[in-house]
Amino acid sequence: MPELMSDTPARGYSEDQKYLIFNKEFMPHIDSMYNFAFRLTMDEDDANDLVQDTYLKAFRFISSFEQGTNAKAWLFRILKNSFINDYRKKSKEPAKVDYQDVETTYNSEDAEAEHTVDLRAESVSDLIGDEVATALNSLPVDFRTVIILCDIEGFTYEEMAKILDIPIGTVRSRLHRARNLLKEKLRDYAKSMGYREENED
Amino acid sequence: MQTSLPSPSPSNLDNLPKQHCDNQSNCLKLIQLLVDGEATEEQLEKLKKSMEVCRPCIEMYHLEKEVKALLQERMEKKCCPDKLIATIKSRIANLS
Repeated sequence: MPELMSDTPARGYSEDQKYLIFNKEFMPHIDSMYNFAFRLTMDEDDANDLVQDTYLKAFRFISSFEQGTNAKAWLFRILKNSFINDYRKKSKEPAKVDYQDVETTYNSEDAEAEHTVDLRAESVSDLIGDEVATALNSLPVDFRTVIILCDIEGFTYEEMAKILDIPIGTVRSRLHRARNLLKEKLRDYAKSMGYREENED
Repeated sequence: MQTSLPSPSPSNLDNLPKQHCDNQSNCLKLIQLLVDGEATEEQLEKLKKSMEVCRPCIEMYHLEKEVKALLQERMEKKCCPDKLIATIKSRIANLS
């Protein structure tokens, strides 16, 4: 797992120290990790496997973790990489719009000239959690991921850049696009629920 | 997070000097930085000025805040099943 080894030199922890770090610094994040895994895979069994694999990897590579640093971000990064390497390929998710396509579309100049979604705060304020989840789940996984990390898990842009191995500028622009997509989905939802999206006179 | 921005009631919105924003897409980017707590002082100042006069900016700000709140507060937070925690602990213990 070179992506974990690259940043920091290996540390010589004793066996006792390894267990201590694992229990005190890694295990407290297990609910967030499970929630993240579930939101990525949208399947409880896959989330179970992903979290288990991630924690076993984390223990195996514990010498590349520096005690007292951001364990949550470190763990999320392993989980995200495991997801990309192991799960995304065999994902039950039906083939959706390829991320590259979306990225290209949204990078075009038309998209830049854009693109504020015509939606009001009041139109979405009555949506329930399941509706928000459905809208979120319908986004391509890379867009879904930045929203989960930022809005649900509360990571900073800098932490997200490290977790995702992308520059902060890309975090910012991907988040911007992800939110525009999400708002389009929410608008469709609100519309279909019969909420009025604008106050026409 | 910064909270000192004006939030006029809907009836006041009609009285704002700017009913259209010529820079909406850039303003939206700044507003998202603000909502995420990632805006610089300079960006905050700029936004504060817009938000005193510009209706679309105020509306976008409320929408972004609302959507973030929906994600944070309404979606179920899945907890890790106890069984999985037990499995992980026993597998780790068996590694030594």
